[in-house]
Amino acid sequence: MGQVQFFNFQVATRDIEGLTDARGESIKAMLKSDYSILVNSVRVILGYQVKSNISEKEAERAIYDLFADPIIEFGALNQSLIDNKKLFPKSPEIAITVGFKPGVTDNAGQAGLDGLTTIFPEVTEESQVSTTMTYLFWGVPNDVTPRWLASKLHNQMIERASISDRKECLNSNWPKLDFPERPALMEQPSATVNLEVSDEELIEISEKGLLALNLEEMKAIQANYRKPTVRSARKKLGLPENAPTDAELECLAQTWSEHCCHKIFAANIHHVDHETGEDTYIDSLFKTHIMKPTLDIQSEVDWLLSIFHDNSGVIAWNDSWSLCIKAETHNSPSALDPYGGAMTGIVGVNRDILGTGLGARPIANTDVFCFGPPDYSGYLPEGLFHPSRVFRGVHAGVRAGGNESGIPTVNGAIVFDERYLGKPLVYCGTVGIMPRKLPDGRQSHDKTPKPGNIIYMVGGRVGSDGIHGATFSSLELTEDSPSSAVQIGDPITQKKMIDMVLEARDLGLIQVITDNGAGGLSSSVGELAELTGGADLDLAAVPLKQPGLSKWEILVSESQERMTIGINPEDCEAFEKLARLHEVEATAVGKFTDSGAFVVRYGAETVAHLPISFLHDGCPQLQLESEWQEPKHRPIIFPSADAVEMGKILSRLMARPNVASKEWWVRSYDHEVIAQSVIKPFCGVNHDAPGDAAVIAPIQGKTQGAVISNGIVPRYSDIDSYAMAAASIDEALRNAVCVGVDLDLIAGLDNFCWPDPVESAKTPDGRYKLAQLVRANRALDEVCRAYNLPCISGKDSMKNDATLDGEKISVPPTLLFSLIGNHSDVRKAVSSDFKQVGDMIYLVGETHQELGASELAFMLRDESNGESGIGGRVPQIDTSRNLSLYHSLTKAMSNELVSSAHDCSDAGLAAAVAECCFGCDSGADLDISDIFHADINLNDWGALFGESLGRILVSVKPENSKLFEASMEGHECNYLGKVSSNDEITIANSNSPVLAASMSELRDSWKGTLNGGRN
Amino acid sequence: MMIPRVAVLSGFGINCETETMAVFEMAGAKADRVHVNRLVNGELNLEDYHIMAVPGGFSFGDHLGSGRLMGNRLRFGLREQVRNFVKSGKPVIGICNGFQVLVKMGLLPGDDDVSLTQTASLALNDSGHYENRWATLEFDSQSHCIWTKGMTRIRVPVRHGEGKFVTADKSLLDDWREAGQLVVKYVDPSSEYPSSSDEVLPYPISPNQSWRNIAGVCDPSGLVFGLMPHPEANHSTWLGATWTREDIEHGEGEGMIIFRNAVNYVTENFDN
Repeated sequence: MGQVQFFNFQVATRDIEGLTDARGESIKAMLKSDYSILVNSVRVILGYQVKSNISEKEAERAIYDLFADPIIEFGALNQSLIDNKKLFPKSPEIAITVGFKPGVTDNAGQAGLDGLTTIFPEVTEESQVSTTMTYLFWGVPNDVTPRWLASKLHNQMIERASISDRKECLNSNWPKLDFPERPALMEQPSATVNLEVSDEELIEISEKGLLALNLEEMKAIQANYRKPTVRSARKKLGLPENAPTDAELECLAQTWSEHCCHKIFAANIHHVDHETGEDTYIDSLFKTHIMKPTLDIQSEVDWLLSIFHDNSGVIAWNDSWSLCIKAETHNSPSALDPYGGAMTGIVGVNRDILGTGLGARPIANTDVFCFGPPDYSGYLPEGLFHPSRVFRGVHAGVRAGGNESGIPTVNGAIVFDERYLGKPLVYCGTVGIMPRKLPDGRQSHDKTPKPGNIIYMVGGRVGSDGIHGATFSSLELTEDSPSSAVQIGDPITQKKMIDMVLEARDLGLIQVITDNGAGGLSSSVGELAELTGGADLDLAAVPLKQPGLSKWEILVSESQERMTIGINPEDCEAFEKLARLHEVEATAVGKFTDSGAFVVRYGAETVAHLPISFLHDGCPQLQLESEWQEPKHRPIIFPSADAVEMGKILSRLMARPNVASKEWWVRSYDHEVIAQSVIKPFCGVNHDAPGDAAVIAPIQGKTQGAVISNGIVPRYSDIDSYAMAAASIDEALRNAVCVGVDLDLIAGLDNFCWPDPVESAKTPDGRYKLAQLVRANRALDEVCRAYNLPCISGKDSMKNDATLDGEKISVPPTLLFSLIGNHSDVRKAVSSDFKQVGDMIYLVGETHQELGASELAFMLRDESNGESGIGGRVPQIDTSRNLSLYHSLTKAMSNELVSSAHDCSDAGLAAAVAECCFGCDSGADLDISDIFHADINLNDWGALFGESLGRILVSVKPENSKLFEASMEGHECNYLGKVSSNDEITIANSNSPVLAASMSELRDSWKGTLNGGRN
Repeated sequence: MMIPRVAVLSGFGINCETETMAVFEMAGAKADRVHVNRLVNGELNLEDYHIMAVPGGFSFGDHLGSGRLMGNRLRFGLREQVRNFVKSGKPVIGICNGFQVLVKMGLLPGDDDVSLTQTASLALNDSGHYENRWATLEFDSQSHCIWTKGMTRIRVPVRHGEGKFVTADKSLLDDWREAGQLVVKYVDPSSEYPSSSDEVLPYPISPNQSWRNIAGVCDPSGLVFGLMPHPEANHSTWLGATWTREDIEHGEGEGMIIFRNAVNYVTENFDN
């Protein structure tokens, strides 16, 4: 070992017959699929820039012992592989090298450094490895510029690119990136913020500091520091008496952010309804419409173990095990860096599960995304990525985050609408499992913190990445949004931490645990401090990624992969030993107290002293105005269409991104790790038909299962957000019913993503948007009570607007409702695919003329350039009718009378029939005349494509039909026809054909739209 | 009766240890989750186990090539323990990432001396990306591999991005076949058993376009076995891809026989 020097390793795929450069081929396929650009060839060179004290000779050894595969790759040290004529007989026409910007998480680089240490244990601390990718192009169309190509291969927010254009390539002038040295940070000394200023200046302090505090909140803080008691207490501590320190103000801003304390859901709302004349006040939507119904249900059941107060809600699944579930959104970061934003979203919500009770094991992920249309060709404001790129990046981030963590992605959805151009919605959900009792007898869902517990920070280190994420997501997105709000997750560091934490839990070492997400240590320690009545945190002990961070930055940085854990002093040695075994960093950074204050020090210097009561209860309640006026829409204009044309319309509906097969994307999520997946995302003879809900059997060899489903229908908000919320909940439940859920044990998650509903100059329609929120909450309240479906956890994201180029784009009000339920015997679970030719097909549930804001309405609008409207009756809910039908249907399933069941939702009955046929390689021969009697207004369009709730398409073996019909006695249950061996769906109304479609044509349109690349 | 003890390795991003332990337990063995560092630091010793399993996962995030860094941890950190284990006639299995580890560290296809020299590799799938889909596997009935005794075909999921089995020297493939080391390959389920073709089957029957459709190989002794697909993920009938379409008696899944074979081998060949 010697002096630290630089080494440059390059690796390329060898030229072996039968071996392809799959990385290059993928780039080629992406250019073709997303941009319709055909290039002849793309090759990739992997680069590893190494800064280390290894010797030249050792570096030589590292080529094939570490960086290059000796069989399939060619490796070189300090040579440019582009010049290697054996590998690349012809010089490339364009060459682009992409690498990370300094300070950005480079997981492959970290792994390289770890690998170097394995071979050369004397490698010193100052060693670093940084990775690059060099893309070589041949046969690029002349109108494609190297700059444009480069812009598609990297994200300027986190990456750098060096480009050799055609001329430079001719001169062998290759791209070059320097080692990304972190610039030295200038530590800012602790400061005091003078709040004895004018109101305008208070606002300016908030805006300039990205604090996202409004005037009232700034004044509440100002008032606190005017209190004589506070001033005298501060004097004793040697703190500035009449003004907050920067750390205190930052800590308050984090804790009081919309992201962390849900101010809009806690607001006092004056609600006026111009239709009904209602004029009322609602003191907190959360308390009134979410908490109250769940508490009422809790008083009647014994399985709601932990609700609302922890990182996720916990239910008793059986006597031995409990389940927990949580969903989060990561919208703003995903808009700026789709890959990193989505990845931190998924690994972040995994930590919510790990931080539940005394620690739960994440066992299933669900992902629901809302994007702009992938084929969008309209105006795209400066600063926005095209939706297809957002889609690709988000998908890749969630894929890496989920797969590398060993957590199966069991269920999800993707919704497209132009209004998600400005901010995509990226919902990541995770289910966890815990033994009800730990070996030491403690109940796992209860934290047992005590004053005197040592506070450990476990996992990653703190850096300048992720400063102000919580407050930033509480602001709208603008051109000036900071890149420090973006991070890249590190799933392997987190996986090591999860392994270690769960082992520590089982050893009885953990007293209290929570994750470090929004707000970093200020939130995690600050929140746990509420449990014991205080905490004493020493920032000087916190391990840093780089020196030079200011004290307040250490306190609020949201650097990923960290948990905060409280340990009894006598257990610290065992805990630290376990951490070393797992190669996880665990550092004691303070202790919990009962002093009544959250005290933050840096060594001997006190940098913040916040009374717990002011920190958690000092934020003033918002007073908001809400005003409901029913929106007006043009009616749908139905074109004239015979049965064949109706078939074409179905085919076009199947090709709509909202309906089309997502198989290409979903296949690249691991949905079967842990060997528990009973009903998978795909079913059917060719494994390509869509499943409804997921069923998992998480205890290997046992047949009790859990059902996981989602409901989301933002379209309906255009007419009425009450209907939107009701339909989302019904869809989640309906999906669960389709697989045979146990209706006596179901719990929900509400996840609201709204445009800013606070009236202001920037949001003149705030009252209407707030009324939409009120109505959605009322639906949640009424429907969940009726379905006996308590909301055990939830989340809201209330600023989903983007202003770019002066144009404001707001997302449609969106509620994702996720459901977890019990399944008594997974061997009786039902899948959606028709099973056999000759099986009898039934539609259960009433069909009404409900095409308002339907997928059909939107398609006809798009096809008529807006002449046809989306107006009309939006699906209405009848909870008692639905629930009693669901009970009868699940009973029939447990009696094994049902062969298949599939939810009727987007694009209605006709689309559901097609999807069930895909799974059987069959057709269907149907007559729908019987479904018309429920609604005299029903026409063929409504019957075929309407989206009435509470309907499920079922197939039954002929020999079971009598018993099945008897078991559905008293419910709307209409026999439609049979599964046929034809390659055709035919639908008649009283023998007159209304729809005829070829299955192969339907399959092609359904599969063609979102086929993301080769294969 | 003796109960075989299985060391199921864990740590650094291995993530299939729970189900891998479960299948060995279902097959009658006692399985321990063994963090690799517990073997490196001497807290535990491989010698005390009868079977070593390297489960699937994403060790070190697949960075620098799947299985490479974990392979190095074993090759450099546990070299003699692993060699002695294999030389003492004890079975080893690597599944998915575990297979990649065994190939990259040179234990598979391996050699008589257990020299830990890499001779094959697992390249990126031709599709260029990770995929989870079900495949049908066919076993070489002539092979002496102790793990696959009596097996013909099974259906199991594949879940990988780097599973294309390749070598630098194609003549090795013939040697390995002669030696009965090319134990398992992807097969068209509609073809007759046994299927003799070496032609690479079309995607997705062959999910990764592996040479000769190779899905897994064993070492010359037949004791060390690895494969890309996940037999442990089909431990029960209700985990099959199309079980809801089949008229079946519920019970053990098609993948279990592999683990039963190894457990039986140990009970027949070891007293304790």
